[in-house]
Amino acid sequence: MEQTVVQVEHLSLAYKNLRAVWDVSFSVKAGEIVAVIGQNGSGKTSAIECVEGLRKPDDGKVQVFGKNPWTNRGEIYKKMGIQLQEAEYPPKIRVVELCELFASFYENPADWNLLLTQMGLDDKRKGMVHKLSGGERQRLSILLALMGRPKLLVLDELTTGLDPEVRQNMWESFEKIRKGGIAVLMVSHYLDEVEALADKILYLEKGKQLFFGTQQEFREYVKGRVPKEEWEENCSLEKLYLMIAPKTTGLTMEGIL
Amino acid sequence: MKRFAVICKMEFRMFARDFFGFFFALVFPVLMLLLFGGIYGNEPVSEGANVGMMDVCVPAYAVMVIGVTGLMSLPLTLANCKEKKIYKRFDATPVGKKSIILAQVLVNVSVAMMGILVLLVAGKILYHIQIRGTLISVGVAVVLSVTTMFSMGFLFTAIGQDLKSASFLCYLFYFVMLFLSGATIPDMLFPDTMKTIAKFLPMTHAVDFMQGVFAGDGLRGYGMQMLVLGGLTVIFVGVGAVLYRGKDWA
Repeated sequence: MEQTVVQVEHLSLAYKNLRAVWDVSFSVKAGEIVAVIGQNGSGKTSAIECVEGLRKPDDGKVQVFGKNPWTNRGEIYKKMGIQLQEAEYPPKIRVVELCELFASFYENPADWNLLLTQMGLDDKRKGMVHKLSGGERQRLSILLALMGRPKLLVLDELTTGLDPEVRQNMWESFEKIRKGGIAVLMVSHYLDEVEALADKILYLEKGKQLFFGTQQEFREYVKGRVPKEEWEENCSLEKLYLMIAPKTTGLTMEGIL
Repeated sequence: MKRFAVICKMEFRMFARDFFGFFFALVFPVLMLLLFGGIYGNEPVSEGANVGMMDVCVPAYAVMVIGVTGLMSLPLTLANCKEKKIYKRFDATPVGKKSIILAQVLVNVSVAMMGILVLLVAGKILYHIQIRGTLISVGVAVVLSVTTMFSMGFLFTAIGQDLKSASFLCYLFYFVMLFLSGATIPDMLFPDTMKTIAKFLPMTHAVDFMQGVFAGDGLRGYGMQMLVLGGLTVIFVGVGAVLYRGKDWA
């Protein structure tokens, strides 16, 4: 039986009077990729920051490797790799130094020299981190998340800022990660990426969990909620999502043109 | 321990790459020494006095070095790392932000000690300054000056809601204290009103204490200064810690 790595039950979190996450429950098993989707401000990052142990939930139960991540951070982080949505690093530090620093945090760090090559950052080794482009920084963030040879990867917007070729390579890498038995919890706005990688989807809107299950189950979920004339068989996950996502007006150009 | 050594090494490298921090902690005090030493030399401060002008200026500049690291370099690093969520990234690793902050404190204290050492060596070679105090009395004065200035910087980062407001407090108090405490301009040149104001500044007590023990006075004559500096350290750390409890690091 696959081991449950992350178990979240009835998670709730509020910032002062703003309810960010409300009654969210899901799980991630070893070798499974779970994608969290939803509009901006739907509580995706807040929910996974509770899993990461960076935020204390107001209510509910979060367990990672069978332990409360808020109170057992030091222990859990030995097995958990994290890529934050907004990752900033110390000013005036070189890529190679940052890798050396992060490697020192773990007892058995990954071969970061090899990872630098695989991530296409070989020629940036001696470059200053703050001078890297957005995509290069993102690749470095992923590299640092992998530094501790994690059993659980939590990735907030994995491929944002990456060019199509690197994104494609990243997807292939995540197939290998899955086969290696590593559990992945990822937030993504790219639904083609979610469709290609995720075993399960957690769909949040305004902090509320609307769906958790497999991609096939998500299809059934959407089918049951849209008028027959709008339904399209075998459509992409993106189209599927757009059928039920809250509608926004978009830019009308009124007052501009 | 090995892990902490790597963190300290990286923090020290980053400090060395920060031109302003490096310049104001290690180079600027020596330039002050050269400037005022060039004007006054190490002539007795008053007729018949056995203490020279540079004998008095060097311990005051030493407080300036402690001030620049404790009130400018460290707090601005702390506020910057917090605002840019750099600590958050470290919090998501097995070491956490505490080790990083501890390394930053250690590096800044070490730089302050290096700055003082450079000053003493330059003063000795160029102006033959005399340090008449015992190692213990000088040590106590340095430690209390360090704890006061560093805890004051810590308090300002706790009061400041962001980098801008923390920087404002640090710059304001550092420069006011720098000019009124006697750290750069000898307080004997001040009018009485300014001398009265200066008595309320922590750096003034640090300068008095350092100058006294460097001149060979024992600790007994500086009970007031020790009480003020020690008491302020406790207050600054206590209030700072309470204010930090309500802060969101994520």
